Amino acid sequence: MKGFKPSAPFLLLLPAFIVLAAVVVVPLLLSLYSSFTPFRLTKPETFFVFVGFRNYLSILANSDFWWAFGRTVLLLTIALNLEMLLGLGLAMLVEKATRGQRILRTLMMFPMMFSPILVGFQFKFMFNDNIGLVNNALQSLGIAQDAIAWLIEGHLAFIAISVAEIWSSTAIFAILILAGLLAMPKEPIEAARVDGCTPWQTFRYVTWPFIMPFAYIAMTIRSLDVARAYDIVKIMTDGGPAGRTELLWTLVARTAYSDGRMGMANAMAYFSILLSIAFTVYFFNKLAAARTQIGAEW
Amino acid sequence: MDENSSARLKRQLLGIVHRIGLFLAMLTICLPGLWIVLSSLRPTVEIMAKPPVWIPQEISFDAYIAMFSGIGKGGIPVIEYFRNSLIISVTSTIIAVAIGMAGGYAFARYRFRGKSSVFLGLMLTRTVPGIALSLPLFFLYVRLGIIDTHFGLIIAYVALNVPFTIWLIDGFFRQVPKDLAEAAQIDGCTRWQAFWQVEFPLAGPGIASAAIFAFLTCWNEFALASQLTRSVSAKTLPVGLLDYTAEFTIDWRGMCALAVVMIIPALTLTYIVQKHLVGGLTSGAVKG
Repeated sequence: MKGFKPSAPFLLLLPAFIVLAAVVVVPLLLSLYSSFTPFRLTKPETFFVFVGFRNYLSILANSDFWWAFGRTVLLLTIALNLEMLLGLGLAMLVEKATRGQRILRTLMMFPMMFSPILVGFQFKFMFNDNIGLVNNALQSLGIAQDAIAWLIEGHLAFIAISVAEIWSSTAIFAILILAGLLAMPKEPIEAARVDGCTPWQTFRYVTWPFIMPFAYIAMTIRSLDVARAYDIVKIMTDGGPAGRTELLWTLVARTAYSDGRMGMANAMAYFSILLSIAFTVYFFNKLAAARTQIGAEW
Repeated sequence: MDENSSARLKRQLLGIVHRIGLFLAMLTICLPGLWIVLSSLRPTVEIMAKPPVWIPQEISFDAYIAMFSGIGKGGIPVIEYFRNSLIISVTSTIIAVAIGMAGGYAFARYRFRGKSSVFLGLMLTRTVPGIALSLPLFFLYVRLGIIDTHFGLIIAYVALNVPFTIWLIDGFFRQVPKDLAEAAQIDGCTRWQAFWQVEFPLAGPGIASAAIFAFLTCWNEFALASQLTRSVSAKTLPVGLLDYTAEFTIDWRGMCALAVVMIIPALTLTYIVQKHLVGGLTSGAVKG
């Protein structure tokens, strides 16, 4: 270290590095190690037995795991796409409003203030087969005769969870896209109209490229906490009925804390971490590309 | 004339459709929350009634009274949970913002090698799902004896918040023109003074909203808290919400009331910061 003079940005970032190393990186290395052991909470001595890739191999052969994995990816695909579309629609509706935009914007952000655990609880309450708002409404309006077992039937439960997830996160897309729409200069749109573009063409070739970076910012933020679905599922169905709504994250929690098989759970956790990282890197790159496209400094 | 009136009709029709669409969207957004508030004020009999009672017959604050009157009266220790939540959230927010200011300043004002990858690396630490992170942390905390303590949760939350605080604060510092600080330095300020007397006050509102955002993340966090806390001495409100769920029964009214208690601070704070939050996240998306 002789003659080494740390640069200013390095010093400024040092505290962040230290905290993240201590709380995230080192523990993750530990969990990487323990994913190669048959570690059980009840038997501490198993922490030092090395079994190579046995945990990973048994996960790969485990159909429950693959179902949970597939379901997680499905949920994320459905949720992110619909959130994007609905957020775009919502943003455009609000942007068109002539009066009361401020209050509309505040209302629009409403779901963001709910913690995922509250969202889960709230929809568990609403989708309750006996006393829930949804069934009560359907029955009072005469659409359904009998109570629909929303959270008890596998597919319906999945739908209910998707609804909760979408309700809670559409706001993020909506406010960021709205910010894009509001920041957009009006001349190109008028020019396009004068040149005889249809409204759809105007949207597709003028508006959309401009708000794309904003959509990717929303995507990146969302992918930073895709795992918030854990809270929602945990409280709504806890992976039930009979594992029909088990996601990767609830499976990890169950394996680790209910079954106490830490080694195995850590191996699974690495899959979920890789999934999150893949999402983030993908959208981050898109974001960077979109930013360069419109000539912003990065 | 005919063309005019048909165009006017079309426009009016579109206006009505737009208004209906807006109304429906806002209804979908607000209804679940309003339903919770309403349910917390109704007697349990009415919530459970079949056929449903749509118009509340009586309104009472019993659920809130029961909640704050301690364990003996059928409530849960809400006051303790509230205190834990507050201590943990406030402390970790202050630390996270201090670290975030240093980091954000570095990103906004300096050019250095691998800037983009360092930024991405920081973000990646945030992507680790809480539940995956909780496994090694649980094990470590048990060993270190800081499981079920405020301290343990605080440092976990600091780490959780730092990447995002850096992102936001970076955005706010970028909005402050470089020239201002340079002018101050020419006038004889040190860089340190220029920061505190020129750049910090200008980025102040933004930093405040980053702080509030960090606070809310802590306030709402569940996955880590549910595994790293065990008892009244460190459990936070989101974990406490599960206290209302017994094996076969759920005290819906009590849960609704607690939900309202949790949402009020979040609601107030988000309302205060909404404008800055969007500005911070999107800065650099349009102009450098």
